[in-house]
Amino acid sequence: MIPVTWRANFGYLLRHPWQLALALLGIAVGVAVIVAVDLANASARKAFLLSMDAVTGEATHQVVGGPGGIPEETYVQLRTVHGIRSIAPVIGGYVTVADTQLQLMGVDLFAEQEMRSFTAEASKSTTAGGTNVEALIRGFLTEPGTVTMSRRTAALLELEVGDRFEVIADGRLHNAVLLGVFGDADAAGLDRLLTTDIATAQVWLDQLGFISRIDVRVDDGDNAMVERLESVLPDGTRLLTAAGRTRTTADLSAAFMTNLTAMSLLALLVGLFLIYNSVSFSVLQRRGLIGIQRALGVTRGELYVLILGEAALIGLVAACIGVLAGLWLGEQLLMLVSQSINDFYYRVNVTDVVANPLSIAKGIAAGVGVALLAAAVPAIEASSYHPRLAMTRSTLEQRTRRLLPVVALAGCAAIVVAAAVLMFSGRNLVAGLSAVFLLILGFALCIPLLIRVISRTLAPAAKRIGGTLASMAISGIAASLSRTGVAIVALAVAVSATIGVSVMVDSFRGSVRQWLDQTLQADIYAGVERGSMDPAVLADLVALPGVENYSTSRRSFLEDEDGRTQLVVIQMAPDSYAGTEILDADPAEVWPAWESDDVVLVSEPYAYRNGVALGDTIELRTAAGERDFRIAATYQSYDINASALLISRSTYDRHWNDDGIDSIGLYLADGVDAQKVLQRIESVSAGRQQIRFESNQRIRDLSLEIFDRTFIITDVLYWLAIVVALIGILGAMLAMQLERAREFAVLRALGMTPAQLGGMITLQSAVIGLFSGIAAIPLGVVMAYVLIEVINRRAFGWQIDMTFAGGIFFSALLFAVGAAVLAGLYPAYRAAQSQPALAMREE
Amino acid sequence: MTAAPPQIEIGLHKLRRTYMEGRREHVVLDDINAGFVRGESVAIRGRSGSGKSTLLNLIGAIDVPDSGEIVVSGVNLTKLSERDRTLFRRRHVGFVYQAFNLIPTLSVADNIRFVLELNQVDARAASQRIDELLTAVGLADRAASYPDVLSGGEQQRVAIARALSHRPSLLIADEPTGNLDDRTADDVLRLLNDLVRENGGTLLIATHSARIAASCDRSFQLHNGKLEETKVEETMSRSDT
Amino acid sequence: MRAFGMALFASLICVAGVTAIGENDAANGSRLAELLGSGDDRGFARALQPRSFSFPQDHGPHPEYRNEWWYLTGNLDGDGGRRFGFELTFFRFALEPSMPETDSNWRSNQVYIAHLAITDAAGEKFYVAQRYSRSALALAGAQAEPFRVWIDDWEISTESAENSNVWRLQAGEREFGLDLLLTAVKPPVFNGIDGLSQKSAEPGNASYYYSITRWQTEGLLRIGSAQFRVSGLSWLDREWSSSALAADQLGWDWFALQLSDGTELMFYNLRRNDGRRDSHSAGTWIAANGEASHIDSGDLDIVVTDQWQSPSGGVYPAAWTLRLPKKSLTLNVRPILDNQELITTVRYWEGAVDLSGDRDGKTIGGRGYVELTGYATATRGQWP
Repeated sequence: MIPVTWRANFGYLLRHPWQLALALLGIAVGVAVIVAVDLANASARKAFLLSMDAVTGEATHQVVGGPGGIPEETYVQLRTVHGIRSIAPVIGGYVTVADTQLQLMGVDLFAEQEMRSFTAEASKSTTAGGTNVEALIRGFLTEPGTVTMSRRTAALLELEVGDRFEVIADGRLHNAVLLGVFGDADAAGLDRLLTTDIATAQVWLDQLGFISRIDVRVDDGDNAMVERLESVLPDGTRLLTAAGRTRTTADLSAAFMTNLTAMSLLALLVGLFLIYNSVSFSVLQRRGLIGIQRALGVTRGELYVLILGEAALIGLVAACIGVLAGLWLGEQLLMLVSQSINDFYYRVNVTDVVANPLSIAKGIAAGVGVALLAAAVPAIEASSYHPRLAMTRSTLEQRTRRLLPVVALAGCAAIVVAAAVLMFSGRNLVAGLSAVFLLILGFALCIPLLIRVISRTLAPAAKRIGGTLASMAISGIAASLSRTGVAIVALAVAVSATIGVSVMVDSFRGSVRQWLDQTLQADIYAGVERGSMDPAVLADLVALPGVENYSTSRRSFLEDEDGRTQLVVIQMAPDSYAGTEILDADPAEVWPAWESDDVVLVSEPYAYRNGVALGDTIELRTAAGERDFRIAATYQSYDINASALLISRSTYDRHWNDDGIDSIGLYLADGVDAQKVLQRIESVSAGRQQIRFESNQRIRDLSLEIFDRTFIITDVLYWLAIVVALIGILGAMLAMQLERAREFAVLRALGMTPAQLGGMITLQSAVIGLFSGIAAIPLGVVMAYVLIEVINRRAFGWQIDMTFAGGIFFSALLFAVGAAVLAGLYPAYRAAQSQPALAMREE
Repeated sequence: MTAAPPQIEIGLHKLRRTYMEGRREHVVLDDINAGFVRGESVAIRGRSGSGKSTLLNLIGAIDVPDSGEIVVSGVNLTKLSERDRTLFRRRHVGFVYQAFNLIPTLSVADNIRFVLELNQVDARAASQRIDELLTAVGLADRAASYPDVLSGGEQQRVAIARALSHRPSLLIADEPTGNLDDRTADDVLRLLNDLVRENGGTLLIATHSARIAASCDRSFQLHNGKLEETKVEETMSRSDT
Repeated sequence: MRAFGMALFASLICVAGVTAIGENDAANGSRLAELLGSGDDRGFARALQPRSFSFPQDHGPHPEYRNEWWYLTGNLDGDGGRRFGFELTFFRFALEPSMPETDSNWRSNQVYIAHLAITDAAGEKFYVAQRYSRSALALAGAQAEPFRVWIDDWEISTESAENSNVWRLQAGEREFGLDLLLTAVKPPVFNGIDGLSQKSAEPGNASYYYSITRWQTEGLLRIGSAQFRVSGLSWLDREWSSSALAADQLGWDWFALQLSDGTELMFYNLRRNDGRRDSHSAGTWIAANGEASHIDSGDLDIVVTDQWQSPSGGVYPAAWTLRLPKKSLTLNVRPILDNQELITTVRYWEGAVDLSGDRDGKTIGGRGYVELTGYATATRGQWP
């Protein structure tokens, strides 16, 4: 039997289903956004770690080499001379099968048993004669092109054991045979992984004589082994812990994921306002009921339990709905997230959302927690009244009014703290983002007072222009601040987010565009996606008629304990130096030294992240061991992996054994038709190596396309914030409409037509939108500034000039008004339906 | 500004109004027939729930009967559309409620101006009229105040000023003193009567108080859905207490 | 006779870290025989008729044959008379008769496996380790001049090209290892008919098989952190073939016995599925002066006098009495440690034995090695 007191309260909610629905919707949307982003992030990361774990296997350490890998002799020496047995050679790379990118792992099955079990597990499924293991070893060792893959991957590619298929590696076509499959149906970590013999991998990836890394298994606490290894490893190689290597790779995308989380928090923040609004309103709405209950002898404590219990229940139900929605939303987000990670960082084979209990718990905790918090404040307030004083609307508003300066003061304090955090937190991304939220929160707290001031100022003017009706619409907003305030804040935050993010993205995009214009100097770019270009093809390309000059580039990585250092190796074409913007030195002095000496240029993000500057030296692990390189200048780069050292080809060749070239830029003679050259490139490379080639213009467009794709997620998230805010407006307007039903009835009785009444409510919505828009502009500008400073600078190291696209503020205002009017349509319609007869009823 | 209100007559013919209470039909007004001449004050008495408010809503063009006719000043309200009824109310009817029902977000003056604006009285004339009315109800110094700082009696006086501002030919008051103490109630009532008579309009007061009824020209009793005229007691008339 | 070594190819399975033999693998030797004896050997050279051996060339590999091994066993005494046995074996397997053309140095059709076992009789411990690799780069391989066979850092090599009678054995794990210098005191003897050892009736089911039955041995043996200076006698078996076993052969008992009077006896007893001795069982008698004579199946009588229950399942013979009337020889053969079973995917027993008995009425002693296969109840074991 449910106690009557419970029924009294719940009965209220059940009789106001839209209000219940809004509260549920508000919490559910908020929770869904948190869960979705969290899941997308966690799933992407987990998928990455899973596959890293699977690929790493038992290896505790890895020996890595220079850009060209490790000479295979190094491995042989470790085994035969030094008798180190728990090591396994690996060649890693990427290949394409049926338009699907797969990770290729070349292994030596004999060494594998020390590291991984799955590589030989495929023997269970081979169809060839003899023992299965024998067939696997026989196939791997003696038959080029034999591969194994996980069951799931085979299913994905629609391949069966024994099938022959084509593999594209380094742009070249190879024949492959599926020798066997491994892994269970749920072994997601092994997805999109192709294993083959090291010999096949060497040929496919053009790594003859070299291996990518040596996996090492060191028993727990066997420091002697580590020391021994380190002492015998030749120059140019380094022993890293496998966990550290996985972590540093995963960390590559950490900034990106932090930003995503930040965006989700933004949506959540707006969602919190909504949840607060919904729940607190449903409590305030019942102040009469509460007063009666108090009068009848319900204690304060009982009321708390009642109200908070209800809030918790609503929060829980809504959170569960939100989690379900979040799972779905997370899947959509995950596609976007993994796309971006694949675009920029590393291959992540995400196939499904991992319903991570932690993410779900987080979402439910947020839903229930905020609902409780939102209910607690009005619950304390409601039960603190003297029982007889069944709070009137005006006493409530008076209280609200009295609180405004206090709240605004707290807001100002938050802004000051945020500014201090920003100023003193250095390069810390998390601190920066925290400051952003503190800033938003602080500003949000000031908004109600701002509204009061604005509406006081605006009301007389409105009366002059639009008469009592307009003034009534405006003063109605200020008079119901306890209702409208939170809705306005929510919309203002959402709109300011659109301003902030738009300004940030626009500024960023502008900088990128300018940089692309400057950087892309050659007329045509040609290269391979991974690996290096076939020297013969390259020679033929640069010899094409019409090609006047060319530049080459190579991107390679040096790994150490702290992560990867990216080397951008360029052989500049004459007169193409201007394509690289030197930020802090005289180009005329920098370039000659760069060509001939042991110097490097550092990209702006590299300089920022590593705290180095012009004149410093950097120690790099060359083929002959550690060498010092002087930093000759800082250059500008907006590449997403722009943390890099620019090094001349000649310097690179002096220090590293890697003659690979990823891409070339072709400079055409005046008057040569680029289109014709492009066609010739196609015929020259056809059947030899799959070369990607694009015109200057096309690269520019593609780059911007990828840029835009990255920000789709941002778009999606702030649209979610807007939706949440709109639900808030809708709720607030409906709440006002309910509360003022009698007032509306009087207005109707006095002779206002439904159209006039509806119009007035719509006007009120528009004014709410206008207020939100006005409040959003300064916040948006500050947010844009902070986002550029925090996200671009701290996360990626870019320095970007803030530019305001024309009309951004106007369109933000228009947007805010439009959105609010849209959200206010239904409440206006409801208000217009008010029955004038209600006015007669006694209170 | 002293144009005489139009000569109106209120005719109620076979009015019937029912409400559904759950599945049962509840007859509130049953075969009501009555006529009120212009300029008189009429009290309608009855117990709570007897249908006083329903009757006033019908006469005030807020509600429509299930059957029967209401003719006010030659206009058959039952034939009017919702919009026309609204416009009729706006122009010809003033309301005074038990709960005052001032608009909380508007000042005293603006509460009155609101009605004038609806009737498209130009701003200057409106201001003049507001001053005039507030002086008449003795609140000239509270024009800029907001309703929530006024006492109940003051609020009701503003409500009366608002109800009369556009010189309605019919003023409907629903328990106008129900929320006031006796002393204030008498003040308000006297004011109401005086002003209505000054305007020459008809006053309909719903009340359960015999004392108030006695102050009116005629008195009706609503009982079991039927309306019956009762004799006004002379001794109670125009009592000053 | 070390035909059993071929079965070790199946131990490649341990590469997988799982027991990956098909479900229908029977726990008996005939399956092994089928697997290794009569597979597709087209393209491989075959042992059809006697050949002339020459050294040191024939110490080196014969990659045109499918299997080959270098089998060294020995009995050693450490400081203070501590008794040890050792086995160091290298197997070569050709996956295919020829190698595909390729640019990668890793491509290979040859696989090497090595087993190292040390028996510590006083410590009652038996140590086993295994290595395997493709023969590519310098990871594993074999060569004749100077002679060398190796996997990783395990190797058998001649100290110098000039003196191919002195071999050095180096192999070890973290827990144990050996570094021995072996000096041949007898020339190679050719088993079977001039080194052609017929294993079953079908032509080609034979191997080329020679032994050097007495090596003076000295060096170091390591168990844990303890080093032992050791000396004693070793035995080399060399054999290569492309197919050897018949389908009805279940397993074998192989004896390599060094007698105290300077003679040696080698005999392999092929056991058929029906439990009877296969008539192709045979052996060699080596006189003190190195002269060899063939022993037919009927010449030697073997009586099992004791048994040992393997903790992993299966009952092995654990003592024998051998009678060779031709040489007036009666020998009691007893392992120095019961448990000298190698737990690999294919389980077998290979261990040091002590000899006692009499020859021509005079008491005689000696030491040796015995290999027993086909006794384990399940051939599927776990490695290690």
